[in-house]
Amino acid sequence: STTTLTTPQNQVESLLHEMADEAGLDLNMELPQGQTGSVGASVASTEQDELSQRLAKLRDQV
Amino acid sequence: MSAKINPSKGKDSCEVIKSYHKQAFEYISKALRIDEDDTGEKEEAVQWYKKGIAELERGITVEITGRGDQYERAKRLQDKMVNNLTMAKDRLALLETTLASKRRSD
Repeated sequence: STTTLTTPQNQVESLLHEMADEAGLDLNMELPQGQTGSVGASVASTEQDELSQRLAKLRDQV
Repeated sequence: MSAKINPSKGKDSCEVIKSYHKQAFEYISKALRIDEDDTGEKEEAVQWYKKGIAELERGITVEITGRGDQYERAKRLQDKMVNNLTMAKDRLALLETTLASKRRSD
């Protein structure tokens, strides 16, 4: 479709990398703690992010 | 209704916040699943949103007792819950308005 053709590939990729970097950073900051619960908190954080994304999507649908 | 949890009694506040998160996540996920479906029963989504919002509200009032990393982690999670609370409330308000106007026109 036209949208796929006109979306700059490099911009999409850099955005994806940015997102991956952010997520990776978050995990790296929490994993070396070696405490129980740190992974759980990280999972909880990710789950909250998921809710935010889905809520934002619904909000922008109108 | 969840039991009142006292963070000072052995359990660290991060765990307490996480348990509210878990409950809220479950309820709001259910709401979203219905809400994301165009043919979903929006009245039902409203009920789940309300339950989820109540859990988020409890979670964000928990006083964080940890220090350092522990504090940071709990704080980050709570911040995200505050954000989702606002968004869920906005969504709920919109749904209720839509449902109310639908009822009027029926």
